[in-house]
Amino acid sequence: MDINAVTTIAKQELTINIRNKWTLIFAGVFSVLVLAISYFGMITAGAIGFQGFTRTSASLLNLVLYIVPLVALVMGTLSFTSEKGASEMLFAQPVTRGEIWLGKLLGLFGSMLTATLIGFGLGGFVIAMKAGTAGALRYPLFVGFSLLLALVFLSLSALIAALCQRKNRAFGVVMFLWFFFVLFYDLLVIGGTFLFKERTANHFIFASLFGNPVDMTRVGSLIVLNGKEIFGVAGAALMKFFGGEVTSISLLVLGMTVWIVAPFLLSQRLLKRQDI
Amino acid sequence: MFLYHRDTKFTQRFTESFSLCAFVRPLCLCGEKLLITLALYFCAIVAAQAETLTVAPTNARFQSIQAAINTAQTGDTIAVQAGTYNENLVLDKSLRLEGFGKPIVRGMGRDSAVIITADNCTINGFVIEHCGNDLQQEDSGLLLKSSFNRIEDNELRDILYGIYLLKSRGNTIQNNFIRGRAELEVGSRGAGLHLWNSPDNIIIGNTITEARDGMYIQSSSGNVMRHNRVTNLRYGLHYMNSDDNKFEDNLFSDNIAGAAIMYSKRIEFRRNSFIHNRGFSSFGILFQDCDDCIAEDNFIIDNACGVFLEALRKSRFRNNVIAENDVAMQIYSSADGNEFSGNNFVENLSPLQLVGRETNTRWKQNYWSDYSGYDLDSDGTGDVAHKVQNVFEYLEGNFPRLRLYLNSPAAQALATAESTFPIIKGSALNDAAPLVQPISFTYPFEAAPQRSPQLLLAIISILILISALTVIWKGQRP
Repeated sequence: MDINAVTTIAKQELTINIRNKWTLIFAGVFSVLVLAISYFGMITAGAIGFQGFTRTSASLLNLVLYIVPLVALVMGTLSFTSEKGASEMLFAQPVTRGEIWLGKLLGLFGSMLTATLIGFGLGGFVIAMKAGTAGALRYPLFVGFSLLLALVFLSLSALIAALCQRKNRAFGVVMFLWFFFVLFYDLLVIGGTFLFKERTANHFIFASLFGNPVDMTRVGSLIVLNGKEIFGVAGAALMKFFGGEVTSISLLVLGMTVWIVAPFLLSQRLLKRQDI
Repeated sequence: MFLYHRDTKFTQRFTESFSLCAFVRPLCLCGEKLLITLALYFCAIVAAQAETLTVAPTNARFQSIQAAINTAQTGDTIAVQAGTYNENLVLDKSLRLEGFGKPIVRGMGRDSAVIITADNCTINGFVIEHCGNDLQQEDSGLLLKSSFNRIEDNELRDILYGIYLLKSRGNTIQNNFIRGRAELEVGSRGAGLHLWNSPDNIIIGNTITEARDGMYIQSSSGNVMRHNRVTNLRYGLHYMNSDDNKFEDNLFSDNIAGAAIMYSKRIEFRRNSFIHNRGFSSFGILFQDCDDCIAEDNFIIDNACGVFLEALRKSRFRNNVIAENDVAMQIYSSADGNEFSGNNFVENLSPLQLVGRETNTRWKQNYWSDYSGYDLDSDGTGDVAHKVQNVFEYLEGNFPRLRLYLNSPAAQALATAESTFPIIKGSALNDAAPLVQPISFTYPFEAAPQRSPQLLLAIISILILISALTVIWKGQRP
C-alpha cells in the first residue's frame, strides 16, 4: 500500500468535504448546540452548583449519541457512493482500490474531526472556565470516545456503500442502521434481559454492550465523565465482570476499534470483487 | 470566685482569714466553742478554695501533668503551658485542665492518651495525640468514663478513636478538631466521636475527619448535635438504638455515606447538609427500621443516592433540598406511612427507585425540576399531577441491571412512549399538586468550592479550536 497515494486522496477528500457547505452547516449547528449546552448547563448548574459538570456532560453525551452517528453515516455514504464521473476518474488513477477507500475514510474522518472539534473546543473552554475539579480533565477522554464513534459509523458507511453501490439504496439502509443502533438495539436488549435469570441476564446485558458502538460510547463516556458509581449496583457488577475501571475502559475502546476495523476490511473485500 | 487565683494569692487569703479570727476573738462572748466553730468554718472555706497548679516544661512546680493531677485537690485548676508532655493522663478527680498556647499531650502509644474517670472535669485548649492502636481496648485520644464533663477547643490527632464516651452522660463536647489515622485502612480506624450508652450530651461545633465513622452513636438517647462538620471518612453518622436525638446545622460531606440511622425512634434532622457522598452503594441519609423521624430544611446534594428508606415508618420529610443526586430516593416497600411535602427535587438523574412492588409513601406539594405540567389558575401548584417516576425508572427499581441504560435514547423513548401511549403502564405514584416554583432557601455553608479555571483544559480546548479553524480556512483557499 502506497502511503503517499493514501494521504493524497485523504487530503483531496478533506478539501472536498470542507468546501462542501453541508460540513460547514453541520460544524456550525454542532458548535452552537455544544456551546449552548455547556454554557447554560454550567451557568444554571442545579440549585447550588455542585455538579454542573455532570449534568452538562450528560447532556453533551446525549447530543453526541444522536448526532454523530447520523452525520458520519450521511457524510460517509455521500462520499463513498459519489457520482459516477468522479469515482470513475478516481478509480482510473494508478492507485489500488484499497488505497482509495482508506484515503477516503481518513479524509472523511479528518473532516468530521474538524467539524466536531470546533464545537468540542468551544464547549471545553466554557467548561474549563466554570467547572474545575478533577472532572474537567476527563472531558478530553469523552471527546476521544465521540471521535471513535464517528470513525465507527464512517467505517460502517463504507461497508454499506460497498454493499449497495447505489446511493438511494445506501441511504435507505443508513437510515435503518441509525435507528437500529441508536434505539431498537437497546429496546431489544432491555426486552431480552427479562427472558433470562438474574445472573445470566447481567452477563447478557454486559456482553450486549459490545454489539452496539453507541452503547459502548455511552457507557464508556459516563464512566469517564461521572464515575462508575453512576450505574449503582449494575456498575459494581460491570466492574467486577470486566475487572476494574481501567480495564473496562480499555475493553470498550478495544471493542470500538474492532467496530472500526472489521466493517472497513469487509467493505474492501467486497470492493475488490466488484465491477465498477 | 475562689476558683482561679494563683498560689501567692491563696496564701495571702489564708493569712487574712487567720487575722480575721484574731480580730473576732475579743468580741466573742460565747467563748471557745464558737471560736472553734468559726475556725472550722473558715478552714472549710479555705479547703473549698481551689488552687491553681502550673505545669510547664521548665521552671515550674510541675514538669508532668499527671504529677500535678496527683497532687491536686478536687476542684483545682491545672494550668499547662505550651510544650510537649510525653505521658498518658488519668483524671480521677474533678479538675480543670487548661492549656495555654496549645500544649501537646503526647500519649505513650498504648491505651488511651487521656482517661477521665471523675465527673465534672474540664479539658480545654490541648493537643492530644498518639494513643494506642487497639480497637477492642477503646484506645482513644480522650476516653470519658464519667459524666458532666466539658471538653472544649482541643485538637485530637494521630488517634484511634477521637473522643469515646463510655456510659458518660451530660457532657459538653465543643469546638474540638478530630483527625484520625489516615494511614490506616478505614476499617481499622476508630470513630471520631464514639457514644456508647451515653445519653444527654451536647456536641457542638466539632470537626471530624479521616476517621472510620464521624459519629458512632449506640444506645445513647437525648443527645443534641449542632454545627459539626464531618468529612472524608466512612459513615458521617452511624447510629443504632438511640432515640430522641437532635441533629441541627451539621455538615456531612465527602464521606462514603452521609448518615446511617438504624433501629431508632423520633430522630430529628434540621438544616443539615449531606453532600457529595459517593460510591457504589452510597447514600446521603439512610433510615432503616426507624419510626417517627423528622427531616426538615436539610440539603441532600450530589450523592449517589440521596435518601434511602428501608422499613422507615411514619416519618416526615419537609422543605428539604434534594438535588443533583444520581438517585434522589430509594424506597423499599417495607417503608410505611412516610410523607414528603414541600421539598425541592432538583436535577436528580433518577427521582425514585422503588424496590418492591409498591409503596404507600405520599408526595404532597413538592417542587420537581422536571415537572412538565402547567398552572393555568396561577395558584402556585400545577394543574396536572406529576408522575414521580417514568416507566424506565419503575423497571429499574426491581431490575438494577437496567441502570446500565441510563441516559440512553431507548430509556428516553420508553418514557416518551409511556406519556404518549397510555397503554404502557408504569407506576401510579404521583404528586397530585406539585409546586411550580421551588421553595426558597439559603444554603448555610459556603457554596460549592470556588472553581478555578482549569488551565490545562482551557489550553487544550483553544488549541483544538484553532487547529480545526485553520484546517477549514486552508481548505477554503484554492
